[in-house]
Amino acid sequence: MNATTRRVFPYLMLLLILAALGWAVSFGTLPKADFTFNNGTEIQTVDPAKATGSPEGRIINALFEGLLRNLPETEASDSHQVIPLEPTTGGVAESYQISDDGKVYTFKLRSSARWSNGDPMTADDFVWSWQRMLHPETGSEYSYQLYYVVNAEEYNLAKVQVGDRVEVELKDRSDPLQAFPRGTIKRGILKKITKPQESSSKKDSDKMASKEQWIYQVEVKPITNDQVDWDAAGELQTFSQQPPSGATVDHTCHHVLIDFDSSVEIRSIDAQTLVIKLKKPTPYFKQLLAFYPLYPVNRKCVEEFGAPNWTKPENIVTNGPYCLEFRRIRDRLRLTKNPYYWDAKNVSLETIDALAITSYTTSLNMYINGQLDWSPTMPNTIMDLLRKRKDFVTAPFMAIYFYRINVERPPLDKKLVRQALNLAINKQLICDQITAAGQQPARSFVPPQLSGYSGQQCGPHDVARARQLLAEAGYPNGKGFPKIQILYNTSDSHQEIAEFIQQEWKENLGIEIELRNLEWATFLDTLNQRDYSVSRSGWIGDYPDPNTFLDMFLTGGANNQTNWSNSAYDELIEAAKSESDASKRMEILQQAEGILMSELPIIPIYFYVSTNLVNPRVKGFSGNIQDVHPLHILRVE
Amino acid sequence: MSRFLLRRLGWMILTIWVVYTVSFFLMRVVPGGPFDSEKNVAEAIKRNIEARYQLDRPLYEQYCSHLWQTIQLDFGPSYKLEDYTVNEVLAQGFPISASLGIFAMVFAITLGVTAGLVSAVSRDSFYDFSFMVMATLGIAVPNFVLASLAIVLLVFNWQIFPAAGWGELRQVVLPALCLGAPFAGYIARLTRTGMLEVLGLDYIRTAYAKGLSHQRVVLRHGLRGALLPVVSYLGPATAGILTGSLVLEQIFALPGMGSHFIEAATQRDYTLAMGVVLVYTFLLFVMNTLVDISYGVIDPRVEVE
Repeated sequence: MNATTRRVFPYLMLLLILAALGWAVSFGTLPKADFTFNNGTEIQTVDPAKATGSPEGRIINALFEGLLRNLPETEASDSHQVIPLEPTTGGVAESYQISDDGKVYTFKLRSSARWSNGDPMTADDFVWSWQRMLHPETGSEYSYQLYYVVNAEEYNLAKVQVGDRVEVELKDRSDPLQAFPRGTIKRGILKKITKPQESSSKKDSDKMASKEQWIYQVEVKPITNDQVDWDAAGELQTFSQQPPSGATVDHTCHHVLIDFDSSVEIRSIDAQTLVIKLKKPTPYFKQLLAFYPLYPVNRKCVEEFGAPNWTKPENIVTNGPYCLEFRRIRDRLRLTKNPYYWDAKNVSLETIDALAITSYTTSLNMYINGQLDWSPTMPNTIMDLLRKRKDFVTAPFMAIYFYRINVERPPLDKKLVRQALNLAINKQLICDQITAAGQQPARSFVPPQLSGYSGQQCGPHDVARARQLLAEAGYPNGKGFPKIQILYNTSDSHQEIAEFIQQEWKENLGIEIELRNLEWATFLDTLNQRDYSVSRSGWIGDYPDPNTFLDMFLTGGANNQTNWSNSAYDELIEAAKSESDASKRMEILQQAEGILMSELPIIPIYFYVSTNLVNPRVKGFSGNIQDVHPLHILRVE
Repeated sequence: MSRFLLRRLGWMILTIWVVYTVSFFLMRVVPGGPFDSEKNVAEAIKRNIEARYQLDRPLYEQYCSHLWQTIQLDFGPSYKLEDYTVNEVLAQGFPISASLGIFAMVFAITLGVTAGLVSAVSRDSFYDFSFMVMATLGIAVPNFVLASLAIVLLVFNWQIFPAAGWGELRQVVLPALCLGAPFAGYIARLTRTGMLEVLGLDYIRTAYAKGLSHQRVVLRHGLRGALLPVVSYLGPATAGILTGSLVLEQIFALPGMGSHFIEAATQRDYTLAMGVVLVYTFLLFVMNTLVDISYGVIDPRVEVE
């Protein structure tokens, strides 16, 4: 090392540090938005077909718009009012008709509805968007929301039978990783499926791999005048995703799906008319249409840029009241008013910032400090103080906190034991002392505020009766009752509740309880493996109808997880699905809940409430059981 | 010198590969996957989703294809921030963490060296005593406690700074102070000790004998020797700043690498977690190498080999 380097070195370092400092202080300036709120977390995506959470919902509701829109029935005079949201024609549809049997929906689209690039919206936008949502490669988690439509489920799960009209996509896409734009589509009648030797392995992945080797023989129909001529004689061709070694096929293909255009009952009659046919009358289908997974996306935009690049602020085309100006990951995204929105004259806020603050305390700090106008999250520990604030907005929320019971683990397989466990908990105390935000103790599984439905209840807090039932089950004073474990995901409030229940069961029933907390993802895995006795759970309804709660506990349901199975219950839930008379349907569901509440594979604990801190200068904010607050109807003073 | 660098490069590649491999399998061994949620979807739908990210392929196949991508510096799509690739997330998060780190580091060095110097020169005085008490406090108090205190005093009591967020200079001051404080403490103690040791050496006496001023002896002759332990501390300090920022980014809602790291780990966002881990490894290696090189420049006794 020579002396010059050595002499220059300290100055060089100083210069370097100064340069770094200079770079670090160079911040761009950002004008303040009209309205700033904490969205709770960074959203997973703005793609309606792929999003799942409520933070995503807030943004997608501002960016996109479905056929119908959930809006409060009347305008709120102050934010403490609770006003139910209804699916209204405040969306893309101007009017609609439902056939007498409740199965055919005909929508008239408003001619003033436009995309944010100025293009008019058409019925085909919905047909294409829903086809994309149902396409297996999109991997939409909410695709089951369309399963009520004839053949939608078959399309989504790639179920085909001999005799079906099918569409086969050849492997000639411009980009093999993008499902849209699609490759060449051949349409025809499925004549035969040749399956290779079934592998002896029972593993699902192997079964899937073997399905890839199926060979489909299809009578491909000719096309005349851009229309498939289904009546003409076709040409027999064979297809396979991955032909087994030794076999030859005419074409390898991506998928063999039921033909969307002719079989899935989502049709555009003309540019402004959309007809949807359902398998069964589904009274809550309107709610689903006003829920963000069924919002349309712009075909041109998606096909030009591909996923996920079409969602970039510089590329995205939307149809809602707002456009996406920019996104900074885990910091904020900014919405600006969409000038092409059909009702733009009634949209008051020009710019909205949605922040992604995960820490409840930080969110509260920023709200108190005036950096936020609305904070839906706040630390639970000081809830009793926050509740007294004038700007604390609360309403019943269609969500329930409950304990799942693994009914295959003795002694929890005994109904009497489960009933005793339920009776021994003082739920009112949990609500008053632990959650403390005005939650209601739960004796039913379906939250009480759903219109036209009154839930069936399980037993109230009754220690004497609980002891009696436990004795009847063969464990007088808890004698001989094995130690059981309460499983919960790591969180202070879950722990407090679990400790409280541990205490109740010990004191009232004389049984020993162990607590086990796991980090979220591990917890979910343990629950899915059924490796638990009693587990903390929560459920938020997708739409305000008892069905979203009750169909969880169908035998083998993906969210049942209790090993509980009851054929009478299954039959009632299925019967309710095909009942077109609204009040009869509710009665059937009540019967089903009656079974659930007497069998108790779950112990309901309390019904959630929504908690929001809203700056009083914000107008148009009101409470509702979905805890959904459309941004485009808000105003600030 | 160049042989030294080449050898370091070799070690770095090996280290990164080992870190990559261990993280890759460790992440997948931990129970729970990126697409588990409280709302379970039907098995067939879940398979569609996993197929989208090739998670349905055998593990060794995933390892090989992902390793090949990673070698080309493409970390793949993020599983939980579906609209972004990991590279985009890192490109947005890194400058934020870097500028927070630079602030904290500059603050820690400036304050630490000054305090240490003053303490050493006026040994056993009131200044010495109070600086060293402060340094000990700075080291002992965890940064999240310091952050809470700072928020109570400087945000709510005196209303000087905003509570949290990112975007203006005002917003970076508090987190940088809290992040830099313990390192300032360490550096102050190191400087003081180093300075006291150096001031007793022969060459300092020689300098005084030459008739140089006290100031010149301390700043030009003494400081250079006293800073050696400080420089060697900068390597571990970088590591500390990186991990320290995990907590502070959460408290002050800063969208840097730390927040991505925590979220990625809890959400099982395999690709993003991997990206952050590799960037951290690379950064640590580079910083340590830089420290070693500068050590050789400052200290004539050290030959970088």
